[in-house]
Amino acid sequence: MPSEPSGNPASSLPTPTDAELVLALWDGQQAALGILYDRHAGLVYGLALRTLGNAQEAEDLTQDIFLTLAKGSTYDPRRGALRTFLAILTKSRAIDRVRSRQSAHQKMQRWQQGVTPEATVNQPLEQAFQQEQSQEVQAALAQLSTDEQQILQLAYYDGFSQSEIAQQLDLPLGTVKTRARRGLLKLRQTLIRFTE
Amino acid sequence: MAMTMPAEELELLIAGYVLGNLSSEEAAQFEQLLATNPAIAGEVAQLQSALETTYAPPPMSPPPALRSRLLAAASEVSSPPTPVFSPPSQPFWRSPRSLLELAAAAVIVALGVNNYRLSQALQVSQAETQQAVALTYQLRSTQANSLASAQVKIDPQTLKGTIAVQNLPPLPPGKVYVLWTVLQPAAPFTTDQKDAILTQAFQVNDRGTTEQAIIVPAAFRDRALVTKVAITVEDAIAPQKHVGKPIMVAPASPL
Repeated sequence: MPSEPSGNPASSLPTPTDAELVLALWDGQQAALGILYDRHAGLVYGLALRTLGNAQEAEDLTQDIFLTLAKGSTYDPRRGALRTFLAILTKSRAIDRVRSRQSAHQKMQRWQQGVTPEATVNQPLEQAFQQEQSQEVQAALAQLSTDEQQILQLAYYDGFSQSEIAQQLDLPLGTVKTRARRGLLKLRQTLIRFTE
Repeated sequence: MAMTMPAEELELLIAGYVLGNLSSEEAAQFEQLLATNPAIAGEVAQLQSALETTYAPPPMSPPPALRSRLLAAASEVSSPPTPVFSPPSQPFWRSPRSLLELAAAAVIVALGVNNYRLSQALQVSQAETQQAVALTYQLRSTQANSLASAQVKIDPQTLKGTIAVQNLPPLPPGKVYVLWTVLQPAAPFTTDQKDAILTQAFQVNDRGTTEQAIIVPAAFRDRALVTKVAITVEDAIAPQKHVGKPIMVAPASPL
């Protein structure tokens, strides 16, 4: 979880939060970067490897993501969880890299034709991932409206910003935000017994 | 008021935080809610987990060498970051006015941090009230005729500390001093081949001194795991290689 300490699991003492560590890092305390890396590198590297399909590129991107964070980046601790920020940044940059080495595709058009954007990026890995999705996750997704599924996937999975989604789907920004939030709440409602 | 917010609206706000799509007004509301209702942290954790369970692959550990490469690369980035809270057009040291802006930004960040602290209530509720005893390590030079001295002070509760150094010679370009935390061989932490954790790389000024804040490994929570604290000289581009011999050492038992 975002705030989970990476040190001795037997310790009940508090550890610095992600926000405190980010602040310390921006204050020049490089040691904070190591702790943040220990907490979140698994998520970042996992996402990078799945999207890029190449271990060396995934390593490079993982380093790039954490260096971006160290340099200040655009993360605002008041507005959201660091883990979500890192995940979206990773997906976004990974997809940019894949696009730069492949012919460009219009992901949104693909989506509208019923093809997932990721399928244009790394089809074998993507298919494997979807097959790996548990029945519980598939059942949870089935509770969401098509709009909610689409917006959540574009936002968290495909690395689009909320305003990009609003523009592409021709929806007001507020509607996009609300549908994403409602979709996430429904997911939690169905998955809660598996995530506790 | 946020505290009397309908349950559905509250849930949507928490989901917005997890998704990172709060407006600034909503962010302020959320801060207030966290401050008055620490249980919200549990909701945040559940939603984060649901999001990752659905859309993220299982976490995968990158190769161990990547951590060292990242820290080495980060140490080469010498320019200070520009946090999103204070976008001065020029560095703060060139502008007295932007010093104030920076201070204001720090207050804003501190408020946010306070609320983050509350969000950790599930972990810290009891321990937070206990005042940990600061640990002080007095490092001595390994050379008999040296005047160098160094003191490391650590709050084992927050893992924050300071290092103060006197009379260490400034290093030639490409070299850096490194503070190491050396652990028992069986300690449940990731260490290098010398059972050490790179804790802080630093330089001294022309007078051979420095004093700076540091964050130390969680191993300091159980001080019996720490066998010593030491300083070496390493290559600036790869301090993690830990090839230098200790030039200053403090024994396991702090003052």
